[in-house]
Amino acid sequence: MKRFECLQILSKLITDELVVLGMTGIHWEWNHLSKHEGNMKIGSMGNAAAVALGMALGLPHRRVIGLESDGSTLLDLATVTTIGRYLPENLTIFVFDNQVYSGSRISQPTVTSVRASLEGIARGAGIESAKTIHDVESFEREARGATSEKGLRYVVVKVQEDTDARKLPKPTMDYLEHKYHFVRYIEKTEGKAILPSHR
Amino acid sequence: MTPQAAKRVVEGLKAAGVDFISFLPESRLPDIIPLLEEEKSITLVRASHEGSAVSIATGAALVGKKPAVYMEGTGVFLSTYNLQSAAIRIGAPIVLLVAHVGSPGDKANSITFSGYGNKMEALLQALAIPYCIVDKEEGVETKIADIVRAAQSANHPACLLFTGEFTIFTGGWT
Repeated sequence: MKRFECLQILSKLITDELVVLGMTGIHWEWNHLSKHEGNMKIGSMGNAAAVALGMALGLPHRRVIGLESDGSTLLDLATVTTIGRYLPENLTIFVFDNQVYSGSRISQPTVTSVRASLEGIARGAGIESAKTIHDVESFEREARGATSEKGLRYVVVKVQEDTDARKLPKPTMDYLEHKYHFVRYIEKTEGKAILPSHR
Repeated sequence: MTPQAAKRVVEGLKAAGVDFISFLPESRLPDIIPLLEEEKSITLVRASHEGSAVSIATGAALVGKKPAVYMEGTGVFLSTYNLQSAAIRIGAPIVLLVAHVGSPGDKANSITFSGYGNKMEALLQALAIPYCIVDKEEGVETKIADIVRAAQSANHPACLLFTGEFTIFTGGWT
């Protein structure tokens, strides 16, 4: 299974969810598939799940979906424990686990290629519903649940390494521009001012 | 930290509109925690790593919360990556409430902390994070309001460093 196939499925299901994007290939692929105003590109390792958690706790009536990778998750295992402490019902984290640091360009292995289990880590952190999936049908089921049902989802999605993302056009919108688009979308859909007025 | 000082800090945060705090406990200002737990207007998030706390607060800021991160000075060292790669790069107005351990005014200073305290201001300057040192209970509410305004105005993290009177241990543990 390729991550791109999964993202194609998920992108068609998104309505008003907030989608937090991690590093490199994920946001290149998602940017190619989705122009949803509720996308927020973080674009760094070890941040997307924590930012998504902050959104979920800060806006508990909105569904938040974080798109993470194995390398990024391993960099910030502390956040997995905080998700396990609060178990927010409006949060889904999809961890696309290709078992390599693909950004290294020579595909150095992550520890999930040996013995480490991100599902096991999540379960140990208190996320008893954490699961690992291996096929597109299971992903579609989880994606439909994430966009229509209440309940914390922590889903490790085993995917093959796929370097096709490197051939996609790169996003031209930088982080600040992305932030302003996202925050304006929140202001519009939540009916509240967030950015300060100017004198 | 006296109970009165803790109350003034929490009242100052409320008055400045802070409504979301992610934190790790530490030894200089912990008296604010029970007061924050009672405060219904503030969402309190117990994190496991200061870097994670910064990124969580960044997410909260993006959806309209006015967040702060409370931590020991050592946590600023730990969260430097998250400050730059999330809060600063995106432009998130989060306020850092930092126990300035190891600073000259730290009444519990020791060699355990001094190395952090001596470098704290240089670290914040390197990150271009505006900061203010607060060492007296008197006027703390104004300092809090000022630093929240600084963060909101710049869409950027800003920091209060607590030392002096705020670092006097109370409750029998020295």
